[in-house]
Amino acid sequence: MSAVIRTTGLVKRYGRLRAVDGIDLDVRAGDVYGFLGANGSGKTTTVRMLLGLVLPTAGEVELLGERMPRAGRRVLPRVGALVEGPAHHGHLSGRANLSLIDAAGPGGSGRTRRARIEEVLDQVGLGGIDRRPVRAYSLGMRQRLGLAAALLRRPELLVLDEPTNGLDPQGITEIRELLLELNRRGTTVFLSSHLLAEVEQLCTRVGVLDRGRLVLQDELVRLTAPTGATVVSTPEAGRVRAVLDGRVLGVDGDRVVVRGADPAEVNARLVAAGVPVSALALQRPTLEEVVLAAAGTSADRVEAPR
Amino acid sequence: MIGVELRKLFRRPRTWATIAVLNALPVLVAVLLQLTDLAPRPGEGPPFLSAVLTNGALFPLAALAIVLPLFLPIAVAVVAGDAVAGEAQAGTLRYLLVRPAGRTRLLVAKLLAVVAFVLVTVLVVAAVGYVVGATLFEAQPTGGTSVSGTSLSQEELAGRSLLAIGYVTVSMLGVAAFGLFFSTLTDSPLAAALGALAVLVTSSLLFTLDAASPIAPYLPTRYWLAFVDLFRDPVLWRDVVRGLALQGVYVGVLLAAAWANFTTKDVTS
Amino acid sequence: MAARGHGAPARWAAVGLLVAVLVALPSLVAALPADDADVPAAELRAAVLASADVGFSGYAVSAGGLALPVSERLTDVADLFSDRTLVRVWWRGPAEHRVDVVTAAGETGVHRDPGGTWTWDFESRTATRGTAASLALPTPPDLLPAALGRRLLSEAADGEVTRTRTGARRVAGRDALGLRLVPAEPAASVGRVDVWVDPASGLPLQVEVFAEGADRPALDTRFLDLDLAVPPAEVVAFAPPPDATLLTAPDTDELIADAGERAPDVELPGGLAGLPRRTFGGVPDAVGVYGRGVTLLAAAPVPGRLAGGLREALTASPDAVTDELGTRVAAGPLGLMLVEPADGPAYVLTGTVTLDALADAARRLSGVVA
Repeated sequence: MSAVIRTTGLVKRYGRLRAVDGIDLDVRAGDVYGFLGANGSGKTTTVRMLLGLVLPTAGEVELLGERMPRAGRRVLPRVGALVEGPAHHGHLSGRANLSLIDAAGPGGSGRTRRARIEEVLDQVGLGGIDRRPVRAYSLGMRQRLGLAAALLRRPELLVLDEPTNGLDPQGITEIRELLLELNRRGTTVFLSSHLLAEVEQLCTRVGVLDRGRLVLQDELVRLTAPTGATVVSTPEAGRVRAVLDGRVLGVDGDRVVVRGADPAEVNARLVAAGVPVSALALQRPTLEEVVLAAAGTSADRVEAPR
Repeated sequence: MIGVELRKLFRRPRTWATIAVLNALPVLVAVLLQLTDLAPRPGEGPPFLSAVLTNGALFPLAALAIVLPLFLPIAVAVVAGDAVAGEAQAGTLRYLLVRPAGRTRLLVAKLLAVVAFVLVTVLVVAAVGYVVGATLFEAQPTGGTSVSGTSLSQEELAGRSLLAIGYVTVSMLGVAAFGLFFSTLTDSPLAAALGALAVLVTSSLLFTLDAASPIAPYLPTRYWLAFVDLFRDPVLWRDVVRGLALQGVYVGVLLAAAWANFTTKDVTS
Repeated sequence: MAARGHGAPARWAAVGLLVAVLVALPSLVAALPADDADVPAAELRAAVLASADVGFSGYAVSAGGLALPVSERLTDVADLFSDRTLVRVWWRGPAEHRVDVVTAAGETGVHRDPGGTWTWDFESRTATRGTAASLALPTPPDLLPAALGRRLLSEAADGEVTRTRTGARRVAGRDALGLRLVPAEPAASVGRVDVWVDPASGLPLQVEVFAEGADRPALDTRFLDLDLAVPPAEVVAFAPPPDATLLTAPDTDELIADAGERAPDVELPGGLAGLPRRTFGGVPDAVGVYGRGVTLLAAAPVPGRLAGGLREALTASPDAVTDELGTRVAAGPLGLMLVEPADGPAYVLTGTVTLDALADAARRLSGVVA
């Protein structure tokens, strides 16, 4: 699989502070890549470097196989982006805003513009929007409009920074469905977020940023792969230890963690011994646990943002 | 790109409000002049204003002379200062740049949009001045009298008025370039506009100071009034040519500085 | 603090270089050396004296530092010597030329034709017809380098123009050769006059008048642009525009004669402060002009009501000297004195003479009028 985003030794220094400290990102075609990190961990700076807004102190950025920011004029028309919330000209309508941004750069044909605008407005759920100026939009509508702008040229790569900000739960679900649908049709999605749940539900690959360093980067399925233990829920936790002597890894109320990657086997032995089992599952680490383990205790202890 | 910038500028209500305010002063002056019939004494007041009472066809020029020293440059400074910093403050700058609108292209497009604003503003002031002059004062259909006391045919007067409009537009380029340069330094459009105005005030002040006479020829406001020279007969080109060259130098240097700053700048807004 | 990306120093260096070149350019052009030609001083002076009929057009600036505390009646003259005056000129000959004083918001043009002058004032929209007077207050045309240089050199004695020339400089883009005039009269307050001459046409391009001991000119008049083609007659001629107010200037000769009739009946001496009296036709006996060239002294009676105002203006100046002879003050080489004898009419003495010479003249005058 070819790399859609690749950075090598990416560094951004602000004075003495290393906001981004040697990041090697690897996002492949077809990924829904979750870029996780607390606020101030360097996520936004990294996203800005990917798009050529912030110039790296050291290291290289390759986007769709070409060097950034040098090849920006060729590459960026194939990329849709939502960086740190949407921004529009408040006195213009949503359609006018989309039309202006589309005309402002290469790769957006004027002849198809109107049709493309209607299409993306439909996609983000703003198909019926009237001519009112953007300043009258709700936060969620603005977020949708920003997403529409990112989708305007049917990009191969979507770089989205907190795309569900300001949306209600239904909106979040809609946008998630939209992103998954786009991804099924071949769009690579790079999703930067501090919401673990969002990333867990959407992403196939995850990178975790902690104080400017990429502490983890792997497939989500591998990160949350079964640990080789089974979680048993039983009202008589004390008896499990007697039945499965030596295999009990921990007891927490009526949850008992038992070594053994075959729940059926565990179930059979417990039921045979007359222990009631109310639930049974393979133990998988949550993304939260993975992130906490990787980022250590300091994931929420971050230097003051500059 | 330039089309986008023009659409942005002229679809903005604030732009037209600025132009309207700019026209209010000459109109007010014209009404007062008509009511009181008191022309400014020789050597005082804006050029051409005293001549308006006898020939209303000169009012477009008087109107330009009225807005030239202060109102017009303020409007230009505000629009130019808003050019990049305004987008940065609204957050739209990052979307323009990832669109991608190349940074150099964006700068040039912004400057051209400001120039277009100046041109439209000056034309509107001149047009409103013409209408006001023709309705409130007696316009002489035969043309007018040059500053040197020779008669100008209507065509000559119109031609020279167009030249003057062009010259006033170019005169504002220096202010526009200062505004644009400051606009790339800060994310606050207000700070950028104030910076350009500070340059303007400094220049106007130094111009009146004898001690500053060695640098007077290089002050951006030095040749602003040279548009009067276009109405001398024969035309006195010296200051007009110098004014054009000086504005060219300011635009060149400041655009280069804006380019050096903006193309190597981290956009974090 | 915004961190700089790669290439920022190089780009700023390019901008700095551009600025440096642009800043250095004017001084480089100014530093262009002027070619000195081997023309003897006497020959150059002769060329200047013969240049009255050379046609030209140009743009000149005269800058004076002679701020005299004179009364409001003479503001035009005072401005002429104390301000920067920008002048456009079209010269076809001594009796056919046009001189426009250019101001930011208007202009005052003097069109000379053989019959007299038209003076056009744009801001007041007046066209004034006047006649050429034998004696008049200085006007902008008198300060043109060509006119002033020629007049000063023509009235100079042979010994006053130094034999050695003073090098060359560039004036209005031409190589101008220097002539120096050092007044011989003891009364002279002018230290020297440098006249820079275009050797081909003989036109003085710049005239600098230095007070005794000063190294900055008290008066500096020079061409900024000069075109040595004869200007077309229609540029010089003047027809009053239809919307102008037509005026007739008071006849200066009549005015002076009138003043002379009202003036006290005194016989001015034939010489003051060692300077011989000059005679002009039609000038009353009560008004006297003494000296020549760059050393001139004028004496004129002052009506009583004017004298008071003049005295106040003079004494307000911190440099004024007041004694039993009267009040005198100098601005650069230009001296002004109000003589108020106890038993006679008040006189004003003014000219390019030293304060001592003024006092000397006042003493002589008091003796005469008393």
